[in-house]
Amino acid sequence: MSLIVLSGLGVGLVFGYALQRGRFCMNSATRDSVLLRDYTLLKAVGVAILVEMIGFALLDVTGIAATAPKPFFWGANLLGSFTFGVGMVLAGACASGLTYRTGEGMVSAMVAAAGLAIGAFYTAGGFMNPIAKTLQESTIIKTAEGGSLTLANILGVPYYLLALGIAIVAIVAWVLLAKPFSLENAAARTKAAKAKGASHGWGWMTTGIVIGLIGIVAFPLSAAAGRNYPLGITDGWIGLVKGIFLGETFGWGTMLIIGIILGALVAALINREFKFRVPTSGVLFQVFIGGLLMGFGAVCSGGCNIGHTLSGLPQLSIGSIVATLAIVAGAWLTSHLIFNVFRKSPAA
Amino acid sequence: MEKTITATKTLDVCGMICPYPDMDTLATLKKMGKGEILEVILDYPLSLERIPRNLTKQGHKLLGTERIDGPKHRMFIEAYGLK
Repeated sequence: MSLIVLSGLGVGLVFGYALQRGRFCMNSATRDSVLLRDYTLLKAVGVAILVEMIGFALLDVTGIAATAPKPFFWGANLLGSFTFGVGMVLAGACASGLTYRTGEGMVSAMVAAAGLAIGAFYTAGGFMNPIAKTLQESTIIKTAEGGSLTLANILGVPYYLLALGIAIVAIVAWVLLAKPFSLENAAARTKAAKAKGASHGWGWMTTGIVIGLIGIVAFPLSAAAGRNYPLGITDGWIGLVKGIFLGETFGWGTMLIIGIILGALVAALINREFKFRVPTSGVLFQVFIGGLLMGFGAVCSGGCNIGHTLSGLPQLSIGSIVATLAIVAGAWLTSHLIFNVFRKSPAA
Repeated sequence: MEKTITATKTLDVCGMICPYPDMDTLATLKKMGKGEILEVILDYPLSLERIPRNLTKQGHKLLGTERIDGPKHRMFIEAYGLK
């Protein structure tokens, strides 16, 4: 294995550490915003996307790594990502969430990950492949030159200018519109929690900045290994299945997954948060089905929440923008049905 | 943590997936009378931070959190009395 492929393991270790400390899960981020009116994780996701937008623009303009936006196939993006959104609420985690929680010792996350890997494997090359492939081929919309549709090429402006412009406008608007952010209060709360000996992770600002920076560093390293894309989760899990059962060599994406699990394990051990936690068999069944739906959805749509939302949105890919909206729609509908309609009283 | 706290009710949500610890805690609190104390046993780090953030929106009060072992914590919450 070459050194550059091994860099995936290094990026994964740092990414896994940050995911665990920041409790960074886009399923929670999306769902909490409607279910609990809690925007903490959503803010972390927003910060990470803005940091990457600036970083990718700089990589692009300096020629270190040219953007590689995902294609826009509206039918596959809508169906795949909506299914992914439904699946992640059932699984109780997004693709990055179930990967880092596997390292934390959560058995539910391991079972969901197995579902995701199996669903993705059979959609990428197995019996589910014709559905995804037909949908992708029949609804793809390309640029005149045959490239992926992005906001930049639709408007006819250079990517780096548009990305920097959007990021700056968004940051200024956020700062002006947000309630005064009190670092003092956040620090005091963390200190109070720690004084009582309770666990406490990173705040949303730290989490967002660190994860955004990891995404920027990941891009040129992954591209050098022949995988021309920033962070992604699903391709790594497919690679893990192929490596274990078909004897194929692990690529950069799979080394990233292994790194995330180990990085999260280290973070959890250091902070006394590692433990094998097993839910009821009913919950295990539910998360497995959720994982299968996520695996199918991610491959059908060409990416999971990390591939599309964290890595694709900052590249202004139309496919990733549509996919993100479909993930959110699927997640909101499913959370509403589960928690507000079917399940009004606690089971415990 | 004051040793004198006695819980009216105990809720164990160990091993539960996201966001059941939060939803079950809030749903249980909703059914409790004013001043009654709920003890929640949980081992999910995200909920450990998220439950305190969201309790206050419904008027409940976090009395304290203590680590039992590893990620397993005990949390005492005083119900606002939404019943």
